[in-house]
Amino acid sequence: MGGLAILFAVLTFPARAQGNYEIQVYGADTVEPKSLMVELHSNFTPEGQKNLIDGIYPTNHQEHETLELTEGLTSWSEVGFYVFTSEQAGHGVQWVGDHIRPRVRVPDSWHWPVGVSLSTEVGYQRAVYSPDTWTWELRPIVDKTVGRWYFAVNPALERTWHGPDVNQGIGFAPGATFTYDVTKQVNLGLEYYADYCRITSPCGLHDQQQQIFAVTNLNVSPKWEINIGVGVGPTAATDHLIVKGILGRHFDWGRHSAVD
Amino acid sequence: MKQWRRLAVYCITGRDWTQEAETGEVPTLLTRRRFVQLGAMSSASLVLGHGAAQMAPPAPPPDFTLEIAPYLLEASPKHRFQTVAYNGQVPGPLLRMKQGREVTVEVRNKSADAEVVHWHGLYLPPAVDGAMEVGTPMIAPGETTRLTFTPEPAGFRWFHTHTIAGNDLKKAQYGGQHGFLMIEAVSNDGSELTQYDREIFLALHDWGGRMMPSADGSAMPIYDVATINGKMLGYGEPLQVKQGERVMLHVLNSSPTEVHWIALPGHTFHVLALDGNAVPQPRAVEMLRLAPAERVSAVVRMNAPGVWVLGEVQRHVQAMGMGIVVEYAGATGAAKWVQPPDLVWDYAQFAAPADAAAKADQVVEIPLVFDSKFEGHGNEERWTINGRSFPDAEAPLLRTGTRYRLAMKNLSTNDHPIHLHRHTFEVTNVGGVSMRGLRKDVVLIPAKASSAVEFTANHPGNTLFHCHQQDHMDRGFMMVLRYA
Repeated sequence: MGGLAILFAVLTFPARAQGNYEIQVYGADTVEPKSLMVELHSNFTPEGQKNLIDGIYPTNHQEHETLELTEGLTSWSEVGFYVFTSEQAGHGVQWVGDHIRPRVRVPDSWHWPVGVSLSTEVGYQRAVYSPDTWTWELRPIVDKTVGRWYFAVNPALERTWHGPDVNQGIGFAPGATFTYDVTKQVNLGLEYYADYCRITSPCGLHDQQQQIFAVTNLNVSPKWEINIGVGVGPTAATDHLIVKGILGRHFDWGRHSAVD
Repeated sequence: MKQWRRLAVYCITGRDWTQEAETGEVPTLLTRRRFVQLGAMSSASLVLGHGAAQMAPPAPPPDFTLEIAPYLLEASPKHRFQTVAYNGQVPGPLLRMKQGREVTVEVRNKSADAEVVHWHGLYLPPAVDGAMEVGTPMIAPGETTRLTFTPEPAGFRWFHTHTIAGNDLKKAQYGGQHGFLMIEAVSNDGSELTQYDREIFLALHDWGGRMMPSADGSAMPIYDVATINGKMLGYGEPLQVKQGERVMLHVLNSSPTEVHWIALPGHTFHVLALDGNAVPQPRAVEMLRLAPAERVSAVVRMNAPGVWVLGEVQRHVQAMGMGIVVEYAGATGAAKWVQPPDLVWDYAQFAAPADAAAKADQVVEIPLVFDSKFEGHGNEERWTINGRSFPDAEAPLLRTGTRYRLAMKNLSTNDHPIHLHRHTFEVTNVGGVSMRGLRKDVVLIPAKASSAVEFTANHPGNTLFHCHQQDHMDRGFMMVLRYA
């Protein structure tokens, strides 16, 4: 199971989620118990919002560093913790916020034809980086590997608990990916992230966030995950160009005996 | 390529291809699946032949009968598996044959698929060895065939299906077609192998398999249930023993893919034979390790009264059910298990030192490199021997009477239980450790290491060599050794 967790961590992981702080589509697997996945998400926005709007720092040339720690609880559950930071000329390195994310998945023994898991994420981010300071997310995750192809979809639902969008209701922010194993070590693919505003009355295309990333996942070792991507945002509400990278390392802790 | 044309001739005509002139040209390359189809045709034609000879006097009754038919295995009341079994039981019947005495086995195939019975560990001609790859005719669904052979050598053997499972992890060796075969020596030589009070046969098996991606970039089977003699721990009949008895355990790992470790707390296993062949140095060990298709014959002296679990040492496998209760006469209470802290096994402890026997004057080396080709994280890899997968693998040519060394270099990250049909080999090196005198027909070759076995080519006829992991042999890890 550890191998599975690593494999899918490399292939995927969470969607757009925290405003370009963590850009990943989740795979359905969870980190195995007695092990910790440490990931550093590095995202740079070469071309983003250049103006200060309603007291929110512009995203242009922001460098986001996010530390994600995910601990396996059981063979079917995990909990993740995030520390978001931002670095920008004139502002220095700033703490942005923290999130916690428990997740459960369908156990292997259920023999489902696809991987299915469900995560919920709660967190705070400072108002200068996001007008909505307290948010909640419910993220169903479905994935499937077929030969060299891998597919995952995350139709995430978001809710603002404190901020201007608190009355918006449930927002719809799906993410999806499909990738192809070119070799055992090199995997190429596309990732898609969006925010359609309210699920019951989606906003117009102009106000939607839409991002498409070309990505590569490098399977250099079962203990490491490397994901590199370049994304474009074609709508006015989206940062137009983002470069992202994820470097992850899997750690076992506790005593793993051969008889286990 | 030419070899497969010859085999096609055999399969269609039912004659030994070695007696055919080099004229039988079949224009297509035969795959393993095609063999099944042709074999079924061959079997059907043989049965038609029997029908035409109805006027002949009735054949005498066979010595043994095997009926292959659907079977519902109840590993526990909550774990049932629809499978195919021999004579309506898992494991199949224990067949006892006399060394060197000809027997006739009638095999009735009442399953939905063509079948073939492999007599594992015997020196049989290719036509009855039980491998379609070397020319044993398949038995078509609904048909019956008779096999006549003279069993050699003496020892603990077994029989099992030798078909393809492919992506169906309920078929072939994943299912329940396996049984014990004991070839009794012509004369009692008084060896330790014949000195016991009670004889018990145990088969280890895994059920409910499915493919899962693994860390090394391929898919591999994982299982829901593991059994001993078809039952999960607590659901089979306990083994009843008496204090002071010498119990001979004949343990077979019939698992399609898994290596198993067995222990009986409070007792030791005095290992006398591996794969049915006496070992040079019998040793008492705390646990047994059996790769798929391996057998161990060991005496356990029952000198720790109580109720015990004889079970898998790996915790997660015992939790899946692999265990059986051993109950002393008059003992009561819950079965006791004491968890060993580690997994311990070494072939070399049963072998003679590497320099104990003079090396053969002339040994011809056949270098074999095992590797795999990546087919995607959601696929099993394709296995290769010397860069080729069966049926495209090269076919080394053997000369009768010559001694050969299979010098194996395992480049993959998997251990492989390699098996040579129709011969017994001597294990001479496992992962860099040299040894002598260990005679086997299956040996677990460690990953990323070199190993070697030697054998004398003294059973002419096409001979199959393969990894005994069902998923590996289905994905190309096979080759045929041909006699000149």
